Order: sequence, then structure tokens, then C-alpha cells
Amino acid sequence: MNSYEMPLVLFTVLGQSAIGLVAVSAFRQVAGPDAEPGRIRLEWLAAGLVLVAGLIASVFHLGHPAGMVRALSNLGTAWLSREALTIGIFLVLLAAGLILMREKTSPMLAVATAAAGLLVIVTMGMTYSPPSFPAINNALPFVFFCLTALLLGSSAGQVFAVKASQPMLTRILTVTLVVALVIYLLVPCIWLSGGEIMKQTAGQWLASPLYWGRIVIGLVLPLALVKRLKGTPAWLWVLILAGELMGRAVFFAGTVHTAANMGGMY
Amino acid sequence: MKKQLGFLVDADRCIGCFTCAMACKNQYHQENGVIWRQVYPLKEEIYPHKERAFYSLACNHCENPACMNVCPVKAYYKRDEDGLVIHEQDKCIGCGNCIRSCPYGAPQYNPVLKKAEKCSFCHQRIDEGLTPMCVLSCPVDAIGVIDLSTLDTTGLVQYAPGFSRQPVLNPSVRFRLPRLPEVVRRKNI
Repeated sequence: MNSYEMPLVLFTVLGQSAIGLVAVSAFRQVAGPDAEPGRIRLEWLAAGLVLVAGLIASVFHLGHPAGMVRALSNLGTAWLSREALTIGIFLVLLAAGLILMREKTSPMLAVATAAAGLLVIVTMGMTYSPPSFPAINNALPFVFFCLTALLLGSSAGQVFAVKASQPMLTRILTVTLVVALVIYLLVPCIWLSGGEIMKQTAGQWLASPLYWGRIVIGLVLPLALVKRLKGTPAWLWVLILAGELMGRAVFFAGTVHTAANMGGMY
Repeated sequence: MKKQLGFLVDADRCIGCFTCAMACKNQYHQENGVIWRQVYPLKEEIYPHKERAFYSLACNHCENPACMNVCPVKAYYKRDEDGLVIHEQDKCIGCGNCIRSCPYGAPQYNPVLKKAEKCSFCHQRIDEGLTPMCVLSCPVDAIGVIDLSTLDTTGLVQYAPGFSRQPVLNPSVRFRLPRLPEVVRRKNI
């Protein structure tokens, strides 16, 4: 097992939560029934605070946090530099949306902020899919991160949405929960038919209580509650957040590095 | 092809004595747990004999190094004159991205300095016309310095069994594989 990388777990999950909140909010403002203006401001403020909390957590991952600003130096080849840049753009647009907000955010700005959030997820997906982890050296990190953003965005968005928007958010959440459940159950099975490192990764994930905790607490239980209550309770995001944190811990700790099997099969 | 230095790992000669790893440690005095050169025994599925075989591995000074490409602060550079990949620790912010990204586990985290570090191919010694300490110390000549631009690759392989295949990175290491052990039988039995 690798380290749990808790600063990175918090940074990625909280960052993606903020992106999900903004994306769902933008979608509601553009395509859904009108929301109460005051709540949109609160929603964007919450997204901003969650993002800042994630950024603060990320600092603890660095050996020398004072050099953080220099992380933008290698935009030519380093996806981590591009990730830092896109997060900066997202943060600026989020702040602009909050400052310029009257009754609602301007639809253009809301969509631009959501698009910047999607770019952050793309760059994050590239950063966390290096060749040293064959199991995730593909589009999976991007897919996982999109699912986190949608799950947390649509569940926490219920807190801020007006009643008219809630059935739409529940539909988004239900579909995402089903898709996430299928993907998270299938992926380790596919790895079992791959190379040695992929098999070892599948073994680590399937043997981890955190993986099953994420499946049960973060996906199955919320799905059952949404079905039974015929709606999304305002507190459901807490369960989903717990599931996402457990799942991300497995992502960092349970994914096997190629160097772990030097001298063995690949 | 430009000059590209790398290590020749002769698994046929290596006896797994760890002298190379100790010579590296003796030269650079890395912190406990920080290992620039490691000797890996081949697992049974690769070399299924009672005799054992080993790969002595350090940084492979790849043609297209993952560590250099992913470093957000440009703490790595590749020397024009010989292709060696050098880590400038002064620039490192300890983000660990190179450690996560190198498939060969070459960059290591120094918990005291809170920065990454890795094998430098003893480039200061190379500049003085000397050989790296690991090469110098090997009692059976199982590690060598090669220049890939002039190397005769007969009998050598780049991706030996038990060594991760990474064509995009193109590691500058070549292996001589271990021979199968010979069974010596007495006649007339």
C-alpha cells in the first residue's frame, strides 16, 4: 500500500465538490426553473469556501509550501502546472461571479466558470494518470473525478436549490449514483484481466475496507435512500462526501506502482 | 543519434552482493530509507531456477524522462552533452509528482530535506573523466557505462523480463540476460 496522501485526498475531493456545485448551479440557472437569487449567492460562496479549503489542504502535501507559486513554471509539459493554472482561472471566475452577482449570475459567466471547472478536472485527470500506475494510466481518473463532481454537486446543490429544481437534481443524482456504482464495481474486475500490476491493483482495491465502505456508504445507501424517500434529503451529501473521501483514499493508497514489482512479471 | 550515457546491467555476472548500492550510499550518504541504487532479485516466475539472478538498477536517464516532464518547477534537466538527467534540489518544492510518475521508482523522497532526489550518474565524476562509484565498486564488472549512440547492442536487450516496458520514456539502460544454470552430472552413473 502507498501512503493515503490525505492532503491530496482532501484537495481533489473538495476541489471537485466546488466544481460540481458551480456546474450544477450553472445548469440550473441556464436550463432549470429559476432559483432564488439569495441562495445562488450562498451556493457560490459555499463553492468558493470549499475550494479554498481544498487548496489549503493541498499546501500540506508540499515539502516546501513557500515554493507553491513556482508550480506554474512548467506549463509546457507538466500537467501539474496546468492544473494549478486552471484552478487559478476557476477561482478567479468564481470570485468574479460572486462579486458581480445581482439577482443571479450572468448566464455567460456561470457557463464560463463551469467550463473552467471542467478544464480543472481534465488537467487533474492527466496529472493523476502517470505511466507508473498502469491501472489508472488512462481516462479513469478523469471519469472518477467527473463522477465526484456530479455526485457532490447534485447532492449538496439540494441545500441551495428551490423546490422546483429539486426533482431535476434528484434525477441527476440518481443517474450519477447508478453510473458510479456500475463503474466502481466493474473497474477492478476489468483490472483482474489485465497485466500483473493491474491485477495487484484490483487485489488491493477489493481487499480494502475503504473500497467497500465507499460502495456501501457513498453509493448504495444514498441510492436506496433516494428511492425510498422519493427525493434527496438535504443531508445526503454528508454520506456521499464520506464515500468519496474513502474512495479517494483507496485511489491513492491502493493503486499499485510499477516499481513495486521490479524483478517480477509486468 | 546524440551521445546518451546509460548503465549496462549484466545480470549474467551480477552475484547480488549489493556492493554497488553500498558504494552509492558511501559516496552520497543518503538519509535512511533513501535508496538511489537497488539490487532486485529476479522473482521465480522470471528466473525459475535454484540459482538466483539480479538486476542492479538506479535512474535510467531516460531519453524522454517522466520526472522531468511532470516536474512543475523545472527542477530536472537533461544534459546536452551526454543525456544525463539531473535533479536540481534547490528548485525542488517536494510535491512528489516525479516520485509518483517515474515507473522505475528512481526519484526518492528525502524526509529530512523534504525534497526529491535520485541517482545523478555521478555526473561530477563523469565530468572529471571518472566512472560512477557503483560501476567502479562492482567486484564482478556487472555494471558498466555505455554510450547508446555508439553501442554494439549484440546480446543486449532494453526491456528485460522483470523490467517495466516504457517505450515513450525510452530508458537508457541495456541488460545482458542471465544464462540458464548448467546442470553438471557425473558420467557413468
